[in-house]
Amino acid sequence: MKYAYLISGLLLLAACEFEIQPELAEPEELMVVDAFLNDRADRQVINITRSQPYFDDSEPEMISGLNVTLYDLTVDLEYPFIEGDRYYYLDTNDPVGVVGHNYRLVVESPSETFEAHATMNRVPSIDSIGYEFNEANFLVDQDHFTAQFYAVDPKGVGDCYWIKGWKNGVYFNKPEELNMAYDASVSPGQPIDGQLFVFPVRAGFINPYGDDSDPESTEMVPPYEVGDSLYVEIHSIDRAAFDFLYALYFQINRAGGFGEIFSSPLSNVSTNIKSTNPGSKTNVAGFFNMSAISSAGRRLTTEVADQAQIKFHNQ
Amino acid sequence: MGLVCLIHSNLLLAQEQHTVSGYLKDASNGEALIGATIRIQGQSLGTISNVYGFYSITLPKDKYVFDFRYVGYDPQLKAVDLSQNMRIDLELAPAEQQLQAVVISGKAEDDHVSNIEMSTEELDIKSIQKMPAFAGEVDIIKSIQLLPGVTTVGEGASGFNVRGGGVGQNLVLLDEAPVYQSSHMLGFFSVFNPDAVKDVKLYKGGVPAKYGGRLSSILDIRMKEGNSKEYDISGGIGTVFSRLAVEGPIKKDKASFIVAARRSYADVIAKTFTDALDDGSSLYFYDLTAKTNYNINENNRIYLSGYWGRDVLEFAENQGFDWGNRTASFRWNHLYSEKLFSNLTMFYSNYDYGFKFGDKDDLFEIGSEVSTVNIKPEFSWFVNTNNEVTFGGEAILYLFEPGTMVDVSAGERTTAGLEDRRALESAVYVSNDQKLTPSLSVQYGLRLSYFNYLGGTVVVYGDTLPGSPKPFVDEYKYRKWASIADYLNLAPRFSFNYKLSQTASIKGSYNRMNQYIHLISNTVATTPIDVWQPSTNNIKPQAADQVAIGYFQNLSNNQYELSAETYYKWMYNQVDYIDGADVFVNKYLESQLLSGKGRAYGVELYGKKNKGKLTGWLSYTLGWTERKVDGINYGGDQLNRKGSWYPTRFDQRHNTKMAAFYELNDRITFSANFAYISGTPTTFPTDRITVGGYVIPYINNNERNNYRIPDYHRLDVGMTINNVWRGKKGRSGEDNIAISVYNAYARQNPFSIYFSQERGRPSMDNPVATNATQLSIIGTFIPAISYNFKF
Repeated sequence: MKYAYLISGLLLLAACEFEIQPELAEPEELMVVDAFLNDRADRQVINITRSQPYFDDSEPEMISGLNVTLYDLTVDLEYPFIEGDRYYYLDTNDPVGVVGHNYRLVVESPSETFEAHATMNRVPSIDSIGYEFNEANFLVDQDHFTAQFYAVDPKGVGDCYWIKGWKNGVYFNKPEELNMAYDASVSPGQPIDGQLFVFPVRAGFINPYGDDSDPESTEMVPPYEVGDSLYVEIHSIDRAAFDFLYALYFQINRAGGFGEIFSSPLSNVSTNIKSTNPGSKTNVAGFFNMSAISSAGRRLTTEVADQAQIKFHNQ
Repeated sequence: MGLVCLIHSNLLLAQEQHTVSGYLKDASNGEALIGATIRIQGQSLGTISNVYGFYSITLPKDKYVFDFRYVGYDPQLKAVDLSQNMRIDLELAPAEQQLQAVVISGKAEDDHVSNIEMSTEELDIKSIQKMPAFAGEVDIIKSIQLLPGVTTVGEGASGFNVRGGGVGQNLVLLDEAPVYQSSHMLGFFSVFNPDAVKDVKLYKGGVPAKYGGRLSSILDIRMKEGNSKEYDISGGIGTVFSRLAVEGPIKKDKASFIVAARRSYADVIAKTFTDALDDGSSLYFYDLTAKTNYNINENNRIYLSGYWGRDVLEFAENQGFDWGNRTASFRWNHLYSEKLFSNLTMFYSNYDYGFKFGDKDDLFEIGSEVSTVNIKPEFSWFVNTNNEVTFGGEAILYLFEPGTMVDVSAGERTTAGLEDRRALESAVYVSNDQKLTPSLSVQYGLRLSYFNYLGGTVVVYGDTLPGSPKPFVDEYKYRKWASIADYLNLAPRFSFNYKLSQTASIKGSYNRMNQYIHLISNTVATTPIDVWQPSTNNIKPQAADQVAIGYFQNLSNNQYELSAETYYKWMYNQVDYIDGADVFVNKYLESQLLSGKGRAYGVELYGKKNKGKLTGWLSYTLGWTERKVDGINYGGDQLNRKGSWYPTRFDQRHNTKMAAFYELNDRITFSANFAYISGTPTTFPTDRITVGGYVIPYINNNERNNYRIPDYHRLDVGMTINNVWRGKKGRSGEDNIAISVYNAYARQNPFSIYFSQERGRPSMDNPVATNATQLSIIGTFIPAISYNFKF
């Protein structure tokens, strides 16, 4: 379905839209746990905030006074998190995440205890990052470079990944740049396993055609120019986290314009944070996940650009 | 039982009986006249011609005067001394001399009151052509959206909704072959070329037993046979596409053909102004419709028709998507006797779409396809003047190819795909139209259908909390044609017409419908990438019961037709989707589906003026359509997630439509359409939650469709000028210029309201702003001009 978005974003039809300020119903202001932890030996951060009325664009308020603890169930270790000014954190010299281990996160409030489980899965290394030369085309009206990363999904069904990218140190954090993979493909229902990631995963979300300096502009700009750099990280995620991100993608990506006909109904995304009391009626949102990370980066130097041009002209 | 009785009583009739039968045709072009009336003067007896123009009536030996009529044509009287069976084939000539007032329907003048059919709408192509159309392009699907009980969620949406049913609950037939996707350019135009269409009929309820397979409606589109008298070339040049149709006799009065084609030409024009389209991009659609028929002899006639259409939206070489339908149907009309008419139809229908992303070396392609082969024998037995029995059967073989994938990486190609799915749907039916008394007629029938989901891999899912993906339990293989799951259903149908007087009647109907294939669509509007899926071991067939009752009245010598109908429809095993469902090319699609029930009810008021300089209709529908599905709209019930009723996306409370035609003189006709429709329901969030820097909308209480977007209203106006060049100064043929303005007062009708974080790259330091945006697909008025000709 992501394909529909890729295409409809290019449909230059004369739809017209304007901002409105409708009255919304009473917000629930529930607890949101944002706990995506990893295997790096640096500060691990958990954001626990309260949801806000939809149009309130202030900083979400941190919920303080909680006891937050991470348990490594495989080796029976306990990591208490420290309450900071804006988040709960853990500083560690040894990674808390180990591939294959099972984890439990516990969040205790004075009135109720919440927990979530996650498994840290394997991640493939990134072989390389490549740049290609393209002549002017329908998208960009000048010669330009595009990038892809090359990595091979290991054999065995069920590997899930969240792929993040940075161009010149700026994180690809637009909703449409959220990029996940299920094995070598984009979703569990399209089984392609144990090979190079398919093209939409390798290139689809790391080539920014939009002009960041002017978000209103519809003009496409070259994704990469000589001197630019790209850094990519693959985060292993578990299946529940994949489903969460996949659903989230469609909730936060509102193509606008004619692409809206492809959007799905607004609904709540899933969560793996649950009360330890099975009869509890308290709603909680957010997700807990443990990721192993692999990464690679490369700059589009003059030499790299020349090689790409030679390769293009030799074909 | 009733059938046995009537045959029995027939045999007991001592009086000598004879049958008059034959075909009725248009004298100008040889086209069959559908629904022409045959009356016996001085008696209340009569019959009407079927979709092939055939009629049959059996009477006691006597002298009669037969009166053959078709509105807009000169009637013919025939004195008949009935002492043996007689064949009377007749051609009626269009009434040339009288002022050619716009004729809305070719039916009998009091058909509205006298016909047993209710909840049906018929549009003939002449009135469709006179309506002001979007971008000036005459469109059948857009025209039927002006009828009571028919709605759409907005411009750009494919298909239509009938009495609270989904788009996938309509069976759209083109010369009896189902068309799986009826839209060009996403939803802006429909695939039917008006130059090749003769007759359009929509059943919203009281569906006869011969139709089945969908819950909500049958749209039966009949193509022209092609002029069997002389060659005709017709066509038009419009703002979006050009049309050309050629028809003529292959052998006069024996065989004829029609070929009609259309193509959009925005890309052709654009290419002369810009080179942006030179690097392999293509943006166009086309369709080709063709039909031929051969009148072998008095008792046998064959037809061959086909449709081929495609939309291509490629933004660069290997970047874009395309879709298209293909259908072919063969029909054989055979008269076993003057009382037994039969038609055998065989058809093939196919729909596919594909996406492509990439360039020369790196490419990813994904596609999906559905194909059907069908055989359908159908018999009409004109038992006697009071009984007409229809019986027949149908066998449909489906082949679903849910997803094929091609990945090319640095020139290396790998393919993958989801397994094909096969299914066989078969049905037999019998139905009788019976006149019980001169004022009471009934139609009763039964349709028995059987569906078999056939071999391949079966996936078994476990139970879970409603609204979550169903957990995978097991997967095993069946032999290729083995039956995995089967369903047998009996669908009774019943209608009656009680004539209160010559000008008023009460009609009622009940029908049960079963639907075995499902259109999987979880988007704001249906789109060309929605796929059809069979019922399986995990998806049950849909079913619906509908009752309708109505009052029908004609006034001023059939000049005005009025009706009021009320209906209630119960729908079972409705397909819905878990939150965040992944329905696009998914091997485990069924884990994403929910099943629930639906209900739709309402009142339709309709008034139509048939004659005079001013003609047209006005309709008002008050309707409700709701769903109840566990896992959706469950409020605070996190533990069980029992769903509460919620309005569907196409629930439109008030729906007012007007179509008017004013014939100023022989040359100039004005027309106007107006629609006022309540805003469609949508879901508004209450909270925003922040995870990983993304701002996600959250809905307190898990409500679905808790708000409505503003109302929709639109006026279109048009003018047709006849005989602009042809038809003057002795030039043969006819032509016209049609000028129209769609959305004349430029209202920005809302299509949807959506909630999103602000556009552009969020800054890592500041919180992200959130917006609500109201979207209109058509933001202004759209003027159009087209030139149409025929010679």
